[in-house]
This record gives sequence, structure tokens and C-alpha cells, in this order.
Amino acid sequence: MWGKGLIAGLRVTWGHWFGKKETVYYPEEKLPMTERFRGGHLVLDHKKCIACKLCAMGCPNAALDLTVSVDEDKKRHMESYKHQIGRCMYCDLCIEACPVKALSWDKNYEGSSYFKEDMIYDAVVEAKNRGEQQ
Amino acid sequence: MAQTEKYVLNMGPQHPSTHGVLQVQVELDGEKIVGAKPVMGYLHRGIEKLMESRTYAQCVPYTDRLDYVSAMNNNLGFCMAVEKLAAIEVPERAEYIRVICAELNRIASHHVFIGSLTNDLGSATGMIYAFRDREKILDLFNIICGARMTAHYIRIGGVAADAQEEFLRGAQEFIDYVPAMLDEYDRIFTGNEIFQARMQGTSIITRETALKHGMSGPNIRASGVDYDIRKIDKYGAYGKFDFEIPVGKQGDNWDRYIVRLKEIQQSANIIQQALDNMPEGPVMAKVPKVLRPPKGDAYHRVENTRGELGFYIVSDGSTKPYRVHIRRPSFVNLQALDGMCQGMLLADAVTAFATIDPLMGEVDC
Repeated sequence: MWGKGLIAGLRVTWGHWFGKKETVYYPEEKLPMTERFRGGHLVLDHKKCIACKLCAMGCPNAALDLTVSVDEDKKRHMESYKHQIGRCMYCDLCIEACPVKALSWDKNYEGSSYFKEDMIYDAVVEAKNRGEQQ
Repeated sequence: MAQTEKYVLNMGPQHPSTHGVLQVQVELDGEKIVGAKPVMGYLHRGIEKLMESRTYAQCVPYTDRLDYVSAMNNNLGFCMAVEKLAAIEVPERAEYIRVICAELNRIASHHVFIGSLTNDLGSATGMIYAFRDREKILDLFNIICGARMTAHYIRIGGVAADAQEEFLRGAQEFIDYVPAMLDEYDRIFTGNEIFQARMQGTSIITRETALKHGMSGPNIRASGVDYDIRKIDKYGAYGKFDFEIPVGKQGDNWDRYIVRLKEIQQSANIIQQALDNMPEGPVMAKVPKVLRPPKGDAYHRVENTRGELGFYIVSDGSTKPYRVHIRRPSFVNLQALDGMCQGMLLADAVTAFATIDPLMGEVDC
């Protein structure tokens, strides 16, 4: 009988009427991010960083713009760590390249911004704001 | 009798049914299609050229952006081509995890196919069902690699990190759910008379035409050609698994839908076997930090969701590839569009676009 399949399909839809909700009320409710989640800002551990620039060399898209200074003891210091989110592919190659594991993601997925300038931030400034000193 | 003039109608590049930025110049006689000419290039990013200035490891994330709904398969194709070039032996556990991820991604990609197809046929509700189930797979990818679509998980020499217990448990739960999921699809889509009437006997690609165009993937299998690289080449761990290749009868829109539906079941079978026989051990081979493959070239092909995806890499012995060429299945399959649309009504062209399943990231590259 023509229409039998249509009714069977409608029955499926009705069956879900009282079913479990599949979505959450964002932004009131947020899903937790996984342990390996790649996204947000780069968190630089200023104490661990040896300013070797391997992260910038590992980046395929030149999203990292670093300034390094050398003091009289020939010790290298990371002066600025500019991360251009607009260029970033979130491929994780910078974090994997770090020999001292000084980099991680802050896992904040709400990365959209109204202005292009807001898509560049300095991880050193953010580290200092957290109260970390090299 | 009133005579109508032929005219050209531009569909796309901003049209919800052309799946991305595909423009199709449709020549119409009344409402009948005389010819359909795909115009591409709106999403060209020059990935092949970009790869020439990146190291081999840096090239892998770019492959995510080719066929962005089945990134794992793209990663796999590129990494296997480099491994062939540099003669790298991949650990067995990594091979198994690669198969699980590639097959999960195949299912997720077929979900997009089913979802967009039902949406194009006028059933927006149908799309939600397919995308609900796709979400389960994307959540699993989020667990294993931290990204939902641009995975960058399969690396040269293995995989980025070992699969956690949580991922393997989640994959098993999903496989257990597949029969119920397919049963629901049968009740809501396959049995629907309107769905059948729109698809059966429309936009037929004959076996000969499919072979002539060099088509591959579910599109050629729907035309009755038993062609699957997983069976022919048995690359990676695929030789160890027992699975069938679903083949269609006449190559109409309906067959292209049914073949993909059956492929979901077969992919689930492969994943189940891989989960049951997963060996222990390392997941990454010893690959030098600065990889310099010897001078020469290599071609490797894998069965991507949309067909035969091949990477041809030429090495000049340096850290960067001298030339990369990508054989993209969507690009080749799109040639059949003209023949599929001829003689059909304009409303049926939308079904043809959906069942040929082009992905513009891959077409334009």
C-alpha cells in the first residue's frame, strides 16, 4: 500500500517525541572538552621555556612570531610569543616539538572575535598575567 | 505549438544543494536539462604547491583540508605514500588503530551523504537523524586526537598517540549501536515512498560510462563494478579482515544510496574485527626528526570515502617534497555529472548533485 512507508517514518519521529534530549542549551550549558582537545590559546609555562624556537620552526603555517633576547650569561629569554589564531591550524605540531613540554592548550573553544587584532595575542603577557615570572 | 528558447541557469556557487562552492551551469529547455557544466576553483588553496615548501611532517595537516569530512582517510593516504618513499615499517597496533579510525570516518562521511541527500530531497528532519549519529563518531575523534574534523591523527610512521580505553570502549558501543541505527534509517528513509520515487531510475550511470570516466568509490560500485582498493591492494591491515563489497545493479540514484548504506554495515564489521584482534605494542615507528627520504618517487592509493585517493610524491632527497600530486576522487567523479543530468528535470539535478557526493575541498584542492 502506497503511504505505508511514510507512516512508518512518522512513527519513528513520534517515537522520539518523549525520548532523551540529544543537545544541550548552549551557552547556559557547556560540554566538557576532552583531555587531548586542541584549541584556544597556547599556554606558555614561562619557567620551563628555554626559548629554543623549535615550536615556531615546527609550525607549518608560520602562526608563531617569537622574540628572543640573550642576556650577558648567554641565557635565552622569551620576550614575546605572538600567536596568530587566524593562521593556526591547531595541528599540535608546536606542542609536540617542545623539548621541555612548556606548551599546552587552554581548551577554550570560544575563539571567535569581532576584530582581526583580537586574533593575535601574546602568550608571554598571558603568562605574566597569571603571575608567572621567568 | 509554443516554442521555448534554451537558456543557461547558474546553480551555485552559493546554493545550499551544491554542497560547498560548486557552480553548475545548467542548460535548460523548459524544465528539462540539456547539459550541466560544473565550474570549479572557488575553493582552490594550492595545497599541492604549499606542500613543496613544507617538511613531510608539516604536510600532513594540509591533507585534513582536502576531503574535510573524512580527514583520517586523507592522513592515511599521504602518510602511507611517505612511508613507501622512505621505507618506514609501521607497528602492527598502529595499523589496527588506523583502520578503526579510517572506517569510523567512512561511516561519519556516509552520514553526511545521507543527511545532505535527505535535506536536498526536502526532508530537513532526515538530516538531523544522520548528523545525530555522526556526532557520536566525532566525539570519539575528539577523545582520541582532540579534534573533531581536522584530525591530524595518523602520522608518518604510525599514529600520534595510543588509543585510550575510553576510545576503544566508545567505538565498541558505537558498533553495537549500528544495527539499530541502520534499522531506523530503513524505517525513516529507505521505506519512504517519496524518497524511492525521487531516486529509483533517475540519473543512471551505466557500467561502461562509469569505467570510461575513471570513476571510483561507491559511485562506480553502484554501477555494478566490483572495485575497491581495500580488497585489490590490501594496504595496511586490510588484508587481515573479512568484509564484502556492496555492489549496485543499474547505477541509479537509489543504488548509490543503498551501496553507501550497506558500506556502513561493512565498515562496522571491519571495526569489530579490528577491536577484537587488536595487538599490543608501540604505535609509532622510529622516524627521524628530520625526515629525508631518498631521491625517487612513490605513488600510494587508498580507498577514501569517495573513491580512489592517490598521492604521488617526488623526493629530491631534501626535507621537503619536490612535487606532490593528489589524485582526488571527487574531481574525477564530477565528470559524470553532465551525463547524469541530461534529460532529467531541474528538480532531479539536485538529487544527482547529492548522490555523486562531491566535496569541494577535494575537487579544488
